[in-house]
Amino acid sequence: MSIASGQVLSPPTSARRGRLATSLARLRRQHILFVLATLGPILLLFGVIRVYPILETIRLSFYNYHITQLRRPFIGLENYARLLDDDSFLTALLNTAQFSALSVVITLTLALAVAILLRSIERAAPGFELLFYIPVVTPWVPAAVIWKWIYDPMYGVLNLGLSLFGVPRLGWLQEPNLIVYAIVLVSVWKLLGYFVVIYGVGLRGVPEELLEAAELDGATAWQRLVHVVLPLMRPIILFSVVICTIVCFNVFAPVYVLTASAQGAPAYDFKVLVGEIYQNGFVFYHMGYAGAECVVLLLCVLSLIAVQLLAFRER
Amino acid sequence: MRRRSVLTSGLTLGAGLALGGIGKLRADTATSGKLAIWLGYGETAPTYQLAMPAFKQLYPNVQVELLTFDLREFEAKLAVAVPTGTGPDLLALHDFLFPRYYESGSLDAVPSDLAAVAGDAKVFDPTFTTLVTRDGKPWGVPWWTGRSALFYNLDQFKEAGLSGPPQTIAQLWEYSEKLAKRGADGNLTRAGISLRLTEPSGGIQKFGYFYYQMTGQQIFEPGKQPGMVRVTLKDNLDIATQALLDHVEHLHGPKKVDDWALKHDAQGFANGAAAMFFREAWVIPFVRKNGPDIHMGVAPMPRDKAWGAFNLVEILSVNKDSPLKKAAWDLIRLLQEQKYLDNLLETSGWIPLRKDRDFSGFLAKNPEYRALMEEPAGYKQYVEAPDTAYQEVTARTGEVILAAYRDASLLGNRDAARKMILKAHDTAVPILKDAGIYEA
Repeated sequence: MSIASGQVLSPPTSARRGRLATSLARLRRQHILFVLATLGPILLLFGVIRVYPILETIRLSFYNYHITQLRRPFIGLENYARLLDDDSFLTALLNTAQFSALSVVITLTLALAVAILLRSIERAAPGFELLFYIPVVTPWVPAAVIWKWIYDPMYGVLNLGLSLFGVPRLGWLQEPNLIVYAIVLVSVWKLLGYFVVIYGVGLRGVPEELLEAAELDGATAWQRLVHVVLPLMRPIILFSVVICTIVCFNVFAPVYVLTASAQGAPAYDFKVLVGEIYQNGFVFYHMGYAGAECVVLLLCVLSLIAVQLLAFRER
Repeated sequence: MRRRSVLTSGLTLGAGLALGGIGKLRADTATSGKLAIWLGYGETAPTYQLAMPAFKQLYPNVQVELLTFDLREFEAKLAVAVPTGTGPDLLALHDFLFPRYYESGSLDAVPSDLAAVAGDAKVFDPTFTTLVTRDGKPWGVPWWTGRSALFYNLDQFKEAGLSGPPQTIAQLWEYSEKLAKRGADGNLTRAGISLRLTEPSGGIQKFGYFYYQMTGQQIFEPGKQPGMVRVTLKDNLDIATQALLDHVEHLHGPKKVDDWALKHDAQGFANGAAAMFFREAWVIPFVRKNGPDIHMGVAPMPRDKAWGAFNLVEILSVNKDSPLKKAAWDLIRLLQEQKYLDNLLETSGWIPLRKDRDFSGFLAKNPEYRALMEEPAGYKQYVEAPDTAYQEVTARTGEVILAAYRDASLLGNRDAARKMILKAHDTAVPILKDAGIYEA
């Protein structure tokens, strides 16, 4: 036994070492082949439908590329320079920032509040979460069409309700000062359920013992929230802020449906970045210029995410 | 074995390509295949469908694929598909899209018999012939027009003590003040005239209706060079300023006759929320269907210095890359026949442009169309300047005009209004310059 053990434990000869190295190399090769075979198609698809369009968009942004014209000269940074003088683009940028700031703050604050409230009715919570989640799975276009009717100044249910409290007729989608709030409301309605579920998962992950210990130490509910729950939920909140910012900066469908092609029910032409990109790219066919707008949008979102990552980093 | 099969495949491929090439050469007169038609004005589809049995007799082996899209979607699809050789065979182009496809060499020359018809002043008004003619020959056949007119509510006119439609622009504003109605809270409940206050392209177009009557020119006029466009706002600065001030005066203050919160356009008119508005012929079937209680009058555009009606023209052309050119032209020939033009008029409300066809029976049954189809002496028909940057220039310039409408500080402020007109002018010029079609 001891001899056998000694044999097993004895240092490998060079021939053995060579065999071992060969089988390890074979194993590594097979592993790599396996990884390539399983992940390769997905990576290829990712490259084709994600990476390539981004790179192509960046490339196009340096060209004067009109879809119906054969001549597409390289113009360097001219598209970017023009953006600085483009009133429509600057208005869209400002509107998008305003809309996103309001939407992100209101959605996430409300979602956290709702998730905390639902924690106090643990047994009924899944049912309420389902109710909050219904707008998330409702497609944007029919949802926006319904909201358009709700906002109708003459026949809309919102003005009807407000009139009971003596509020005069308001053109929710017609008044430049009101439309941003109208669109924010639709956006909050649509996104709230998603973040209620996310925060609900986060809250369930907070250890009960910590909360009980804090309670025993005399911490109030507010103190437990601020000093125990929120710090533990930091990664979940960061995820939510990043996702919500990306979604809000890319807002298009609700704005398009609520404001465009509205001759019968006129609406203010509320410009947002993706709307401008759509208009320049697919209505005016200035693909190069629309590409430059895409790059600016990408940079805006990336910068905001970087700021959020810094703000939420562990100290 | 493998080598032989590669050789065989190569030969087969080569033969296939060669045959394909021959096929391409002979394709113009092909009598089988799929003939694609895309429409941005889906309401005209029934007329194409009506013509199908007759077309099938000519081409039993040609399958017709008729697709309708939302107008803007249609324009975008066409812009992508035609240059890449994947567009429809029959091109139904609005007059402002036509130059783009002519410039890009995408249109087939009109066959001689149809060319003779398109160029005959007895058949088509020369305004429409000019629209499709380049280098002395036509590249399409004008089919229908969306002609502007004044639509007014007969009951509301009667209620306001007005016996007939306004004859002049000044009268139009005066009548609109009489027709506007307010609720107990002081808010407008009915527009005296429903102005186009949103959707910039439509906004500048409708502002242009006033501008044309007041100046005798369009905002965007054809240049002296073919394909070039002139912006006339600076030439008519005082009148353009007055037109803007008239609008602002009737959107703010005591003479207010319209409000953003009201239902607008044909929908507002069909609901009784507007006493008058400018639109095109399609409004008649729309109001009959959506506002059956509305008693509608239709009148020619009110006059001022000039008197004319704007025409949005649909042109039928054939894709140069189509393998079924002959079949497509034969379908266009069919669509010129009385039976199909009657159907076009009855189902879509668009006005056929053939002067040599008889629509008297239709007019007897549908007198509302008289103002759209009869042309009193001195009533000019005008069309958009051929403009490859039409959508961009009208949208961007329209944004300036619509923003000015909203600005109550312009009320009675001629200097500020003039600045807005100049801003609109300065917005249009670089767009046209970029497109290479600006003429100073």
